[in-house]
Amino acid sequence: MTSIDISVRGLSKHFGPVQAVRELSFDVPAGQVTGFLGPNGAGKTTTLRMMLGLIRPTAGQALICGRPYAELPDPRRTVGAVLEATGFHPGRRGRDHLRIAAHSAGLPTARVEEVLDEVGLSEAAGRTVGGYSLGMRQRLGLAAALLGDPQVLVLDEPANGLDPAGMAWLRELLRGRAASGRTVIVSSHVLSEVAQTADHVVILAGGRLTFDGPVDRLREHAGSLEDAFLRLTTDRHDPTAATR
Amino acid sequence: MLKLIGNEWLKLRTTRGFVILLVIQLVLITAGAAGPLSNMPLDQAATAIGAVAHVGLTSLIALVLGIVAVAGEYRHKTITDTYLGSPRRGRVVAAKLTLTTLAGFGLGAAGAAVSLAVTYVWLTAAGHSMPWSDAELWRTAAGGAVWNAAFAAIGVGIGALVRNLAVAVAGSLAWLTLVEGVVGQLVGRDVTRYLPFSAGTAVGRLPASIADGLPQWGAAALLAGYAVLFAAAAIRFTTRRDVA
Repeated sequence: MTSIDISVRGLSKHFGPVQAVRELSFDVPAGQVTGFLGPNGAGKTTTLRMMLGLIRPTAGQALICGRPYAELPDPRRTVGAVLEATGFHPGRRGRDHLRIAAHSAGLPTARVEEVLDEVGLSEAAGRTVGGYSLGMRQRLGLAAALLGDPQVLVLDEPANGLDPAGMAWLRELLRGRAASGRTVIVSSHVLSEVAQTADHVVILAGGRLTFDGPVDRLREHAGSLEDAFLRLTTDRHDPTAATR
Repeated sequence: MLKLIGNEWLKLRTTRGFVILLVIQLVLITAGAAGPLSNMPLDQAATAIGAVAHVGLTSLIALVLGIVAVAGEYRHKTITDTYLGSPRRGRVVAAKLTLTTLAGFGLGAAGAAVSLAVTYVWLTAAGHSMPWSDAELWRTAAGGAVWNAAFAAIGVGIGALVRNLAVAVAGSLAWLTLVEGVVGQLVGRDVTRYLPFSAGTAVGRLPASIADGLPQWGAAALLAGYAVLFAAAAIRFTTRRDVA
């Protein structure tokens, strides 16, 4: 029995008349990389933000290590998240961005240099973020997520802006964390990005769950992964599609 | 709470915004002091007091500092990281309020020191003496610093309520320069002296407000009340709204 670090139950979010997420329930197992897939606008980011306490669900809840995010005693040591590549002050040095995050989590400043080294940003850390490339910003965001050496890693479209070498490096990092028993959930709208890394896949379309299971089962679903993905994200009302 | 306040201080001093505002403010104060000193008789205490009264007027800069402390985080999307590290948002807003009020007072105190120094040097160079023993001089300098602190605090409330940096800055400056004046034409001084800018001029002992403005202590209490009101609304609003 694998342990469950993220548990989503009956999660819904309405923005006025728009039902962004509808009665979503799934678990994210530890020790695996879980791909969180769906076309643009499927509700992936909204779901991740609800998990992290940034958006209030209309109904249902998401628990991380058994608690709502806001009630985690040490959030940065439990969860590391990279939500968007633009969350930096352009006039602040990369190192200072991490110092602020480390300080707020009560982590030693030495961690800042460690994660900078881990993501390969040590040399650029003294420059202001305004001069960083998109890939460097992704690495800086990842560095902030890794500061607390968290049990759970939540990444929203982390591949945006990474070059092939960066992608390979990221894949390695995610595999390594899963292998050490940690939980990784990575969202993407591109199946092929995730297919090589993920063990487990959760697919959303139109705010609803259309698939939740191991990658291998997805392949059985329609012969090829692409076919299965396409079918699960376009034919959203197919009652046989939701396998739990 | 101390950790959160320290974190806000770290944010403030790792970008250049605070220093830029301080420089602008000191230049304005120096230029402002030069006006009365070159146009009014140097042997009268009122001239020195008029020169120092510009300290209070730069509370507009403190207001911007307060707005930027919150709305700037929304603009650069660093607010996501802030709330991931400290999910209890009310405490974050309270920490911003505390630190920014102190910083606003710091701006005002630095301005008061510079303006007293400029006035002293100017008067001494012209063969006159500084009216150090005039209580009104000190009431004006201290009142100016308090006005800065109060407007910094109100700025935090506005920034948290409006969240859009440009709208918050433009809107509040329009209020101060235009709306209070227009309202004043309509309803008269009996009402307008209770509005924030007029109350500020009474705290900062601007010559125009001494005749028919509120007493200094009363105006200071009223400004503190405005700050508390805005902060309470900001905390309530911030804890309920989604961070998208």
